[in-house]
Amino acid sequence: MRKVAIVGAGMTAFGEHFALGIKDLLPMAFADCAKSVDKGLAKSDIQGAWFGAMGTADGFPSGILADSLGLPDLPVTRVENSCATGNDAVRNALFGVASGAFDVALVMGADKLRDTTSKDMLWKWEAMARDMAWDYPLGLVSPAGFALHVRRYMHESPTTREHLAMVAVKNHRHGVNNPKARLRFEITLEQALEAPTIVTPFGLYDCAPQSDGAAALVIAAEDVVERFTDRPVWIRGVGLGLDSVMHQHKPDMTTFPATTRAAKQAFAMAGMTPADVDVSEVHDFFTGIELISYEDLGFAERFGGYKLVEAEVTSVGGALPVNPSGGLKAKGHPPGATGVAQCVELFAQLRGEAVNQVDGARVGLAHNIGGPTAVAAVTLLEGSAHGAR
Amino acid sequence: MPYVASIGTYLPCWGAPQHRVPGDDEDAITLAVEAGRAALIASGAVERVVLVSRDMPLLESSNAAVLLAGLGLDPELEVDERLGGAPATLDAVSSARPRTLIIGTDLDPAGAAAILTAERGLQVRTAARVARSLPVRTRNATGDVHDYGDPRLLHERGLVASLAAAWLDTPSAVAGVEHERAVELCIGAPPPLPTTGASASLFALAGMADAGTTGPLVAVEQASLSGVTVSGGVAELHRREPPARPAPAGTYLEGADIPISLAAYERAFEAKTRWEAGRFAASDELDFPPRYRLAEDGALASDYELIPLPRTGTVYTETTVHMPVPGLRTPYSLVIVELDGVGVRALVKVTGAEAGTVDIGARGRLALRRVAVRSGVPDYGYMFEPERAA
Repeated sequence: MRKVAIVGAGMTAFGEHFALGIKDLLPMAFADCAKSVDKGLAKSDIQGAWFGAMGTADGFPSGILADSLGLPDLPVTRVENSCATGNDAVRNALFGVASGAFDVALVMGADKLRDTTSKDMLWKWEAMARDMAWDYPLGLVSPAGFALHVRRYMHESPTTREHLAMVAVKNHRHGVNNPKARLRFEITLEQALEAPTIVTPFGLYDCAPQSDGAAALVIAAEDVVERFTDRPVWIRGVGLGLDSVMHQHKPDMTTFPATTRAAKQAFAMAGMTPADVDVSEVHDFFTGIELISYEDLGFAERFGGYKLVEAEVTSVGGALPVNPSGGLKAKGHPPGATGVAQCVELFAQLRGEAVNQVDGARVGLAHNIGGPTAVAAVTLLEGSAHGAR
Repeated sequence: MPYVASIGTYLPCWGAPQHRVPGDDEDAITLAVEAGRAALIASGAVERVVLVSRDMPLLESSNAAVLLAGLGLDPELEVDERLGGAPATLDAVSSARPRTLIIGTDLDPAGAAAILTAERGLQVRTAARVARSLPVRTRNATGDVHDYGDPRLLHERGLVASLAAAWLDTPSAVAGVEHERAVELCIGAPPPLPTTGASASLFALAGMADAGTTGPLVAVEQASLSGVTVSGGVAELHRREPPARPAPAGTYLEGADIPISLAAYERAFEAKTRWEAGRFAASDELDFPPRYRLAEDGALASDYELIPLPRTGTVYTETTVHMPVPGLRTPYSLVIVELDGVGVRALVKVTGAEAGTVDIGARGRLALRRVAVRSGVPDYGYMFEPERAA
């Protein structure tokens, strides 16, 4: 397989884009991405595209991508893998280029959640995640599925609600500087703890806001990278892991086997270990998920995730910053776009251009889990020269 | 002349002691299943089922399949769904052959009671039957209620006139009227009854069996009346009548029609309403829900048999949903329950307890409830009822 690098990355702001449809968001994200390509990008450079979209706003997703970019000759494959959609689109595009089939490919991710009325959103999206006869009628809303894990995790580990709140405070603080984030304000530990309960043990600030948005990456084979940039960000490892779909079939709910499987593949492919990672974007759809993921990704010992937030290890300025972009928590979570947007943040981090720059960041990790908790994707990226220009 | 081998009763835990209300997850069928299962603790044979109510959840389509599944009875049994009140249930008892399970079930006040007939037990025989018309309250096929609003007319020309026409001895118990009325009409102290509809006459029978009283038992509905005479003999009695608690207010968010796939409903029905897992021959493993399996060589195994699951277990994890969910009352609790001794977990809602009161490690039982109403279809499944603190 050939080496493959990201040569351009961009995204729209995430938010409630009532005034913008998916056909607007896709060209906006593409333009932001094209602008980042150091030596310039022509649309005709792109030979194939992988499009991550969980929903189908305004119809057939692949065709909408080709139409809205004005690229009728472009072969587009739509990827749908629940919350892991974005990073799985990266993974599939990587294989397309590494194999030699294409030299330059486009990865995009987008979702338009707020085109569905909030009244109907819940049952509509639940239908994508649950067994129609057994689990759907229970009202196991998305936060509740994750809460079943976190509740048990808190039962078996020393983790408290304060530790969950510390994750929220950290990611909100990171989000303040990010112009693409939806929630750009700081919160205090007290605010997080006193917020209204959504599902136990999650309060309002433990949850990420459902949002609209799009993100784009251009990837190129090593043979042609120099046409676009002298500072590529290499895709070193990708992994995709699955687990039982039904929560009642997961023997140990304090860990996500999907994540450990995906991470194992990605680290093996990269020839790296968790100790090599300098900065990461971790799936914090709910605060407790970030803590469990520290352990599943190999950043913390089992039931030791809370120590990392207590000691501010995962804050920008700490030894292993997690979610310098603000994470899903502050940025928002349009599922198809989320994983691609994580790579947009890491592209900037590994080129030394991020708004919350992690000093000397060389290796970055992106992680998603969803499906619900039945699929995870991990992507490992490496900058060209210690992240500096 | 029928004999009553066993009596089972059920009252929802919500409402006032003498006026229970069903939970959001209960309807006339789930109440009937609870009472029927209580009557069947005595483990007699059942050859047919008579269900009496004026609150049947489905008037078109049938309630029989869910009833039999919930009771754990053979789907080949005859189920007689009778529209009626307290006299109709007593009529069903009078004419019952042995091994008939008769259940009366009501929603307002809520409760259900069941009896199983046999060749021996508590003896009852028909004493009177009068059908007269005095429709002071009516409800038509679309549920429209009209109340004439004259309780004295109902008492004088309904109950008193029908009793006179029936040539009955002074009753020992009267079902279908308020307790004060029953006291006026009876000798001794008639049992206070928690319901006034189809289940009331069986609650009265339970009360007489409890107190060891004999004599006429009269059941009335407006101006119609049936009577039996209870003589000697013993029936096994199982009451599932928890103390009453105020129903949690919660918040109900209107405006959702929760969709259903009837194809998925039909596929899941047996395992879901009978609480059964799949098991393949020569395997100890249970699949819940049941599923096909592939062998290592890719060969398909689809011929699993359904095995009853334990109905008790321990909470492995829990969450309580406070956010508004269209079409459901919040808050509500969900639990994953580790079923006793089989290595199977189930994801279910909590019933019979205030939301948020069930903790990890709690013990309880699984009971048939109406999990949701989806596009007009009552969707039945099992829920976790925690053991009450002693």
